[in-house]
Amino acid sequence: MSDDMGVIVKTMARATIPLIGIFGAYVVSHGHLTPGGGFQGGATIAGAGVLFLIAFGLSEMKKRYDKHLYSALEGVGGLVFLGAAMLGLGTAFFYNTLWHNGPVFNGDPGTLLSAGYLPIMNLAVGLKVFTGLVSAMVGIALYRRWKS
Amino acid sequence: MNGEAILPYLIIIPLFGAFAMPIVSLAGKKAREAWAVIISALTLVVASAVFYHVWKTKEIIVYTLGAKTPFGQGVGFPIRIVWEVDLFGAIMVLTVAFVSLMAVLYSLGYMKHDTGLEKYYTLILILELGMLGIAITGDLFNFYVFLEIMSIASYALVAFRNDTWEGIEAGVKYMFVGSIAGSFILLGIALLYGQYGTLTMGYIAVKIAENPTVTAKVALALFIAGLLFKSGASPVHMWLADAHPAAPSSISAMLSGLVIKVGGIYAMARILFSIYSPMAHSIVLKAYLQPYINMSAIGWLIIIFASLTLIIGNAMAVIQTDMKRLLAYSSVGQIGYILLGLGIGLAAYGTQTGEVALAGAIYHTVNHAIMKALLFLVAGVVIHEVGTRNLNELSGLAKTMPKTTFAFLIGAAAIVGLPPLNGFASKWLIYESSAVFNPVLGAIAIIGTAFCTAAYVRVLYTFFGRPSERVANARDPETSMMLPMLLLVLAIVIMGLLPWQISDKVMIPTARMLEQFKFEYINALMSLAGGA
Repeated sequence: MSDDMGVIVKTMARATIPLIGIFGAYVVSHGHLTPGGGFQGGATIAGAGVLFLIAFGLSEMKKRYDKHLYSALEGVGGLVFLGAAMLGLGTAFFYNTLWHNGPVFNGDPGTLLSAGYLPIMNLAVGLKVFTGLVSAMVGIALYRRWKS
Repeated sequence: MNGEAILPYLIIIPLFGAFAMPIVSLAGKKAREAWAVIISALTLVVASAVFYHVWKTKEIIVYTLGAKTPFGQGVGFPIRIVWEVDLFGAIMVLTVAFVSLMAVLYSLGYMKHDTGLEKYYTLILILELGMLGIAITGDLFNFYVFLEIMSIASYALVAFRNDTWEGIEAGVKYMFVGSIAGSFILLGIALLYGQYGTLTMGYIAVKIAENPTVTAKVALALFIAGLLFKSGASPVHMWLADAHPAAPSSISAMLSGLVIKVGGIYAMARILFSIYSPMAHSIVLKAYLQPYINMSAIGWLIIIFASLTLIIGNAMAVIQTDMKRLLAYSSVGQIGYILLGLGIGLAAYGTQTGEVALAGAIYHTVNHAIMKALLFLVAGVVIHEVGTRNLNELSGLAKTMPKTTFAFLIGAAAIVGLPPLNGFASKWLIYESSAVFNPVLGAIAIIGTAFCTAAYVRVLYTFFGRPSERVANARDPETSMMLPMLLLVLAIVIMGLLPWQISDKVMIPTARMLEQFKFEYINALMSLAGGA
């Protein structure tokens, strides 16, 4: 039994999934400059995953989705966030030492490589939200009990 | 030892453990279990160090996140998130870390046959993290964030065994009630922030004392409503009796022992005594005929709810046939005692009676966490071995499971308040102060205990009765489940042997620090202003 949505939807999905992903990556990486950030961008990228799941069906998704990889990546996202918060532990937890002392991410305010740990945290949160939401969607799709 | 330097590790260690859990569990089942035990043991070490530091120096630790001082450049008020740990917070931290370690140890054997355990251990560490955060925070919104971390982890854990509808139903019910309570609290925080423009607890206390508006009173009402929900007080205890029995027993131990205390009682005490400082309102402002908030009326309000809670909770426990449900109702009853102590501490603020009542409430919070954890772990062993928690089918367990029955006997005797065990001292302080404050309240407290005794005697009678066929093949569980029970029994007995020493050395100073006659909580924060 095929659970995909037909050739029209699949073609459109093929075209739009990369664009959604790029837009999400933009929101994540400009999190400290423009509206949005790690969570919003990560959720946008996860939207691409959800579109894939709906357009191509669960059986196709199962081939490409590795539970262990995704939950490990989610853990990595959290750990990077925690690590960024711990960088300035000499002064205080969550002290933005990269911004105050460098060596990286201490450019002029408004440029991409500024704001200290914020871009790192945005990337980490983006990774965590993307993997977490995709895992949640696959979980929900897998446990549809009413469909025998 | 520097208290400020070790405090962040209280959050870092469980957070690191929880985030690393999916990666560690790739290495297999053993690694995952060892990791959970190591992380919670390390947390206990840090918690003991924090407690020892605060207890030794009797000074409040103020820790600023993200900078050296909470005060901004060139402004005279705190703008950053601070953590403030006084002795009550430190006691809660120690209790949380200890009981969580016991629950994790117990889970090794108890959850062996379940699947999805990496999520289970991640959630249990996050639950612990949320409670530790509530206990150490000094910022209202930070408090709300940790409250939600704790609550969401516990919703998920209640519904963890999703192969039965019971767990899912209880989890959903718990989630609805918890969200309502959470939105009350959030609304209260929003009102205070809108009125006073700050979220730091110590500074809000100053602002409220300067200008006690109607908004502050409405916010207080919302806080009390939300936190009574969270602590499972009557008449809003209905979720507790569903959620606590439906969870796996190790989680029930944490929910009944810790979550309702840290998320309910502790938070209420912190808001009532640290933000709405009764010293400022009931004594100073009243004496100078300034507008003030009538905190002793608030105390009476809590006393009324407490009396209701301890009668209803204990009386409902008597008629239960489900063992875990009985324990859950008994938790409601014991929360009644703690609330009674808290209410008298507020209504009789500034007197010896109030101080003793408050010390009794804090003491009972710790004692009940240990006793109820033990009782739920015993209930878990019974379910694990016999497969039922219906008291009518459990007759004669004493023959086949002697060690478990002994543990239950100790726990039941302690919770009823028999003298050589720890429950006696704390209940005595509450009886004594309530009888001095108002004899009617003393009588109500005694009636509650009569019901409580009836409930536990019934269970013991079942355990020591004639063996039924069902329990014939049951036997005492493996070491990993026995060990935490033994440790909890030891804690009960040791604390029971030194009741007045603990009361004088720890609980009375804690009550005094919470009452803040010299505005210690506020001063600890505001005294940092000079360094900016």
